[in-house]
Amino acid sequence: MKLLMEVSNKKDVYLNSCDGIILALEGFSVESTCYFSMEEIHDIVSHSDKEIFVKINKNFMNEEIDALKKVLLELSSYSIKGVFFYDLAVLELKTELDLSFDLVWAQTHMVNNYKTCNYYHSKGVEFALLGKEITLEEILEILQNSSITCMVEVISKPSVAFSKRKLITNYYQDLGKKAKDSLTIHEKMTDTNYQLREDTNGTNFFLDVVTNGTSILKPLYQAGCPYVIIREFGLEDNFEELLTDTYQYIQDQCMDDKYVEKYKKIGDSTNFFFRKTIYRVKKNG
Amino acid sequence: MDKIELLSPAGDLERLKVTLLYGADAVYIGGEKYSLRANANNFTLDEIREGCQFAHALGKRVHLTLNIVFHNEDMGEVEEYIGQVVDAGIDAFIVSDPFIISYIKSNYPQVEVHLSTQNSTSNYKAIEFFQKEGVDRVVLARELSKKQIAEIIQKVNVSIEVFIHGAMCTCFSGRCALSNYVTNRDANRGGCAQVCRFSFDTGEDKEFTMALKDMNMSRYIGDLIDIGVRSLKVEGRMRSLYYLATVIGTYREIIDRYYDHTLDEENMKVFQERLDRVANRETSTHYFMKEADYTDQYYSGRSEVSNQDYLGQVISCENGWIQFYERNYFEVGDVVELFTPRGDHLEFAVQELLDEDKNSVDVARHPDNIYYLKYETSIEIPEYSMIKVVRRKDEIV
Repeated sequence: MKLLMEVSNKKDVYLNSCDGIILALEGFSVESTCYFSMEEIHDIVSHSDKEIFVKINKNFMNEEIDALKKVLLELSSYSIKGVFFYDLAVLELKTELDLSFDLVWAQTHMVNNYKTCNYYHSKGVEFALLGKEITLEEILEILQNSSITCMVEVISKPSVAFSKRKLITNYYQDLGKKAKDSLTIHEKMTDTNYQLREDTNGTNFFLDVVTNGTSILKPLYQAGCPYVIIREFGLEDNFEELLTDTYQYIQDQCMDDKYVEKYKKIGDSTNFFFRKTIYRVKKNG
Repeated sequence: MDKIELLSPAGDLERLKVTLLYGADAVYIGGEKYSLRANANNFTLDEIREGCQFAHALGKRVHLTLNIVFHNEDMGEVEEYIGQVVDAGIDAFIVSDPFIISYIKSNYPQVEVHLSTQNSTSNYKAIEFFQKEGVDRVVLARELSKKQIAEIIQKVNVSIEVFIHGAMCTCFSGRCALSNYVTNRDANRGGCAQVCRFSFDTGEDKEFTMALKDMNMSRYIGDLIDIGVRSLKVEGRMRSLYYLATVIGTYREIIDRYYDHTLDEENMKVFQERLDRVANRETSTHYFMKEADYTDQYYSGRSEVSNQDYLGQVISCENGWIQFYERNYFEVGDVVELFTPRGDHLEFAVQELLDEDKNSVDVARHPDNIYYLKYETSIEIPEYSMIKVVRRKDEIV
């Protein structure tokens, strides 16, 4: 099982205790808190021995397709492992331009079943980043029945929504105050905070609670899960230590229970790993 | 030239019939499974069959939503279900999952597949992918401008459908799981709790809200026809009969008048007023003519207003008496409008009113009771005609 990290501090891209890095491309990606230019990505690829994945996961408009083509062609000349995509334009261009890197199907809330994973694999997509609103049981079923190479985000403050609208700017305009680029909102019913980040692409919503998936690393490892992901956002203070310990735990085949015990300190939220969502609240008729 | 399609929502069989009679060319419905409105009174297989027969007899079409984001457990019976609804007679599926698209196109090539707006398709290159997968129509993302829609139509040879009226999501469709996190209800499997209409604390003087105004494209129907859009979709499978009859009837008139070159500012004002009176929120064209901005949303929590205009639904009309189910209070002296699926709009003052036992009364105050209203007309008043208030007695000078 390989460990990928997505950093929120650029200086941390050279941390050693991982197998790969996810870099969000500035202007072409969303749902991240740290974005990299093409020059920075090129520099990192040149100096790192890790697997490099680039996130290109925004919804593109017609007028952005030429620029998208250009960056995909340029990335194809770098030694990157793969590109995380949301918009099917990326998959279409990968085929059309015969690009060298692999693709990661990363439609945030949609990667929830093995048949669709297998469909994407049949279209030449090598990887799938599974949705964060499914249970561990569903993840294991996908791992067992899918031919695609799966990735599971295990420790993070998850992305929960994305809007093209400038929601923070609009809010402060209504208040008659100068806009900021981030805002914490509090949901009263569940007593939960969400962090909003706004940039030129729109407004990103993150749950302001760390999903602590340390306890599911062992069953994932035992099920042969190929990749797990840790995101630094919200865990900046001791990120290097967390990353090192997690990497070591995986190297030790997830046998050292002291690791799970130690990281209870990052919180007890296991998100949807052990909790099913419902969708029908009344019966017909 | 084929007229553009007017596509109506229908949450149940009655809405299906009413909206088709009021001028929709096609309806979209949800079955008991796999639809993004899990809590609507969705259609059983028998109802789908009956709805299709009703629509086809009028030369109209039925589209079935199959646009949830599928989990493993949803996949078990979906293939069997697809076969059953094809047998029931549906004309098109509205789908977001590409595995389901490929399954339908492989097994039922005679049935159309429409790519759901749940995919938030926003560019021609993504459509090229889905075209190769056999998709017959794409329902575009609601974040596109007129120019962007026109460019897509010029570049790809696929039927394009756009939303023209109704409630809007704040986030890209499919790209929001706020409902999952806040209420544990799965937004992408039909359980959306509309968290984007909640308000949130921030520590500032005012709560944070992001609720959007509704969409109303009535003034731009001609633009949409001219750039080559093939289908105009109204949102709202859970809306009332009165709302749907008014909205669909109004858009029917706008479309027909546009093609007949009889749409002018004067009748447009009438249509606009009709649509405004059934709306429970303010409206906007959002991204169509400009980048959406500060003016397209609310800043003070939930903002729906209830509407008491709808007075009743006609059951029959004989010997100058209209029998109807009452919906809202009204009284002798009020000025009302009787409107029919055929497009008649008859305005008159209420002069005589009888209760169910044919006793003379001054007011109709019991919703769901039957009343009789005196109205002499030579025009046939068909089933599903409706009555709404124009002016209350005390508003008449």
